[in-house]
Amino acid sequence: MSFLGFGRPQPTSAEKIAAIENELKVVAEMHSRMIKVCTSKCIDKTYREGELSKGEAVCLDRCSAKFFEAHQTISEQLQREGAQRGFGM
Amino acid sequence: MDGLTQAEQRELESRLQKRQVKEFMSVFGNLVDNCFNACVDDFTSKALSGREGGCIARCVTKSMTTQTRLGERFAELNAAMSAEMQKR
Repeated sequence: MSFLGFGRPQPTSAEKIAAIENELKVVAEMHSRMIKVCTSKCIDKTYREGELSKGEAVCLDRCSAKFFEAHQTISEQLQREGAQRGFGM
Repeated sequence: MDGLTQAEQRELESRLQKRQVKEFMSVFGNLVDNCFNACVDDFTSKALSGREGGCIARCVTKSMTTQTRLGERFAELNAAMSAEMQKR
C-alpha cells in the first residue's frame, strides 16, 4: 500500500469474488423478474395447449424487448428526477 | 478489475454452482405454484383429476419452452444493453 497518497489498496480476493457474484446476482434477478412478468402478460392461463402458440411466442419476444427498454428508461428518469428530489443512488 | 487467480476462479465457480442449485429450486417452486394455481380448482376429490393432470403436464411443457425462449431473448438484449453502455 502506498503512503504517498496514490494507489488505492487492491481489492481483496473476497471482495473481487463478491463483486462478480453480486453483478451476476443482479442480472439473474432481472432475468427472473422478466420471466414472471412476461409469462403473466403473454401466456394463456388455461393451458389448453402444451405448445407455445405463434401469438404467444411473438408476445414473449416483444415483452422482453419492452421490459429492457422500460428498465433503461426508468433507470434514466430515476437518476434525473431522483437527484433533484434527493433519492440517494 | 484484475483477472482472478486459479484459487479465486475455483471459489467463484463453487459459489456460482451453489447459486445455480438455489436458482433451480426457486424455478421449480414457481412452476409448481403457477401450474397448481392455473390448473387445480376441483376439491371434490383428493386426487388430481385427469383434466387437472393433463393441464399440469401442458403447463410444465409450456413453461419450459417459455423459459428457453425468454432466456435467448434475455441474453441478446442484455448483450445489446452492455454494448450500449460501454459506448457511452
